[in-house]
Amino acid sequence: MQDRDQSVSLKLAAEARFIPLVQGVVEQGAAAFGLDRGKALRLTMAAEELLSHLAETSGGVAVDLTLTPGGWCVRADFSFVADPSDLWAMNLAAREDIGPGKSMDRLGLLLAARMSDGFEIRLDGRVVHLELRQDHAYEAANPRPVRVVDARGEVVMVDDPEPALIREACALAVDHYPAHLVNETFFTPGKAADMVARGDMNAVVAVDSAGTLAGLMVWRSPSERSVGFCGPYVFVRGGGTAGFLEARMLATVARTKAVSLFSELGTDDLTAENYELLGRLPLGRPGPRGDSGLGDGPEGVELDIRFRHLREDSGRAVWAHPSMRSFLEAAYDRLVLMRDIREADHAGANLPERSVFSARLRPELGIATLAPMVVGRDADRAVADHVRALTRDGYRSILFRLDLAHGWQATLAGSLADNGFSPRLVLPDAGMADVVVFLHG
Amino acid sequence: MADFDLRRLVPPHVRAFEAYRPSNPDSELMRLYGVDHLHRLNNNENALGPAPTVREVVDSFPPGAVPVYPNGDCFDLRHSLAGRFDKDAERFLVGNGSCEVIASVIKAFCEEGDNIVTADRTFAVYEWVAEFSGIKARLIPLKDMAFDPRGMLDAMDERTKVLFVCNPNNPTGTYWDKATMDAFLDEVAGRAVVVIDEAYCEYVDRDDYPDGMSLVERHPNVIVFRTFSKMYALAALRVGYLCGSVEVVDMVRRTHVVYSVNTLAQRCAQAALENDAPFIAATRAMVREARELLCPMFDSMGLEYIANEGNYLMVRVPMPDTLMYRKLMRKGVMVRTMTGFRFPNWIRVSLVQRPVMEDFCRAFGQVLDETA
Ligand SMILES: Cc1ncc(COP(=O)(O)O)c(C=O)c1O
Repeated sequence: MQDRDQSVSLKLAAEARFIPLVQGVVEQGAAAFGLDRGKALRLTMAAEELLSHLAETSGGVAVDLTLTPGGWCVRADFSFVADPSDLWAMNLAAREDIGPGKSMDRLGLLLAARMSDGFEIRLDGRVVHLELRQDHAYEAANPRPVRVVDARGEVVMVDDPEPALIREACALAVDHYPAHLVNETFFTPGKAADMVARGDMNAVVAVDSAGTLAGLMVWRSPSERSVGFCGPYVFVRGGGTAGFLEARMLATVARTKAVSLFSELGTDDLTAENYELLGRLPLGRPGPRGDSGLGDGPEGVELDIRFRHLREDSGRAVWAHPSMRSFLEAAYDRLVLMRDIREADHAGANLPERSVFSARLRPELGIATLAPMVVGRDADRAVADHVRALTRDGYRSILFRLDLAHGWQATLAGSLADNGFSPRLVLPDAGMADVVVFLHG
Repeated sequence: MADFDLRRLVPPHVRAFEAYRPSNPDSELMRLYGVDHLHRLNNNENALGPAPTVREVVDSFPPGAVPVYPNGDCFDLRHSLAGRFDKDAERFLVGNGSCEVIASVIKAFCEEGDNIVTADRTFAVYEWVAEFSGIKARLIPLKDMAFDPRGMLDAMDERTKVLFVCNPNNPTGTYWDKATMDAFLDEVAGRAVVVIDEAYCEYVDRDDYPDGMSLVERHPNVIVFRTFSKMYALAALRVGYLCGSVEVVDMVRRTHVVYSVNTLAQRCAQAALENDAPFIAATRAMVREARELLCPMFDSMGLEYIANEGNYLMVRVPMPDTLMYRKLMRKGVMVRTMTGFRFPNWIRVSLVQRPVMEDFCRAFGQVLDETA
């Protein structure tokens, strides 16, 4: 059988002497997958940084390196089976205690993240994945002057829109909307179209009867049970475009695994009665894209987060740390969500020594989103270390997500509260159960 | 423990399929929502039932029958149906609810690469069974809230094996009249099997409503589905059946599990058919009265609604249907959300006895007032 992705893989031990081998594979593989030279080099340097981090912290461990072309990107995934007691070294902030007489002088993971377009640490059973992503270079769309026209005739959805139509719709969204409300990929319309073609993003496009582009809406599934959307982006006056786009999205996701739908970037055009308001979250600060439209102040802007269930909610039990009980009760009461709140506390539990947090970093927006993979006896310090390391690296919006399906995750709320985090909102069914988002500061 | 690679063993279309999760039992829902009663207006059950003839069978069911297997292919019930509809008993196949016969029909006619054709906004089980069996479901948008015959015919190709027509449609209550049905069947011209799901036919009192039981006489490719869950109020017992030509039913029987209908269900279904006219008339009157109570209320609230045939109607609410559901549950009323039927922000309400309908009206009005 042919491997559609034609990925390349390498099995090796995490040892410094293999660095040149990894460099060669990543550099030449990335080039073969079409990354331009500059981008291939960045991916190579990030991979080198990762391997040396592994060699220092988990020397000799058997690593699988897989290089995969993703259509619009190339991914380098380092995976290995980690002994639970060694996992801590995968923390972004891991730098001390790496062995007798040794200490790390730099935060290799943060360095690797900084050189990448995407970076993720996650645990899949006992397998740790460190994934670097480098996107292809695409031509950028710059805002053009807009002229809003009335929709002519009936507005209709385009079935299976052509890539060219998606590209044009993305460019129109860039023209018509403030940059902070525009899905990041629209600034490179070719990338957005490639993501849609591969099914990494879903898009619906509307046109009027004269064939003029009327609107665009996109969504993706950040987890099996949830959908996040951006839009609706509307380019004509009248015609009910937003409602049609939303209806098409809802019809498409209604019979899937998804339980909950969230607005990632909801525009003012959305139909308010389709959603429930959950609260607000920071959107980050101005990014490196020049005039990103994120507002004047360094604090950036906040955005309403809306949601709707796609199924009937028949109630469930959630875990909570005593420190978040009153927050949760108030949130659930306001949302009319029936939850049995069970309290979870460290007390008496036989905890591992050290904690490990997963991380999703958006350097261009200064947003870091953390979640616990292991909660250990050092939780307080681990949270403090992460905040320190991320703040030093320029991340101003540090979010922590706890999935209340797991008592051990809920226990972390105590350490978060002690380190300057406060719960901002509940995302119903965003994970295995409801997810509480904490914000630092 | 030996390695067990579940992913390798499960076909992709099953891995990709999302299992339907029925709601929690009433007792658990009542505890969570903090209510001491729950009006079930979510499943189109007939709260008037069962009929007295059925009650007698239930009350006198001998415990001695419990250790004994039921008749494997519902011999007596099929003969009752044969007498009722004046057909050969071999033309009936009884299942554990009509949901089971949906699966048997798809298994009998479809293999990989085949497709079925139905509507996008109808009873979901046709689409579900097809998809988890690896068969493509072509979903034709409703037109004016009704099945679109032209769209369905245009969607047919040489791999189309079954067309499912829900008549009247759940949830819109629209139906094809005799002329529409005849023209459709003429144009299908035997190229595929046409299933006419008449789950709610006993609620329809219209002269131009086509009777599937006579259509199967003229069209050898037609299969009619009926159920005892709706009008006959036997939902807990799970009995439904299909009727078609002897040849077609013989094929479907090959893929159908025998012994799936229990003894009590078989006997109650037979009893339900006896002298059913008064019970059907009383139920129709109840449904009519409920509809006449609700529709003017929705009119006065300026809400859009769809109330046609069947013991249900739909209303569009100014909020997510899933939020309306939670708010009504807090008041002891359970309705069906319609996002999953591709009618976001609509709820479907079963039409039952007046006092319950009045409770619904009160709760519904309160929720709207609270949100206004
Ligand atoms: C249109 C339609 N067909 C079939 C069924 C299934 O009925 P059962 O499996 O209870 O016979 C239903 C039940 O909701 C229905 O609405």
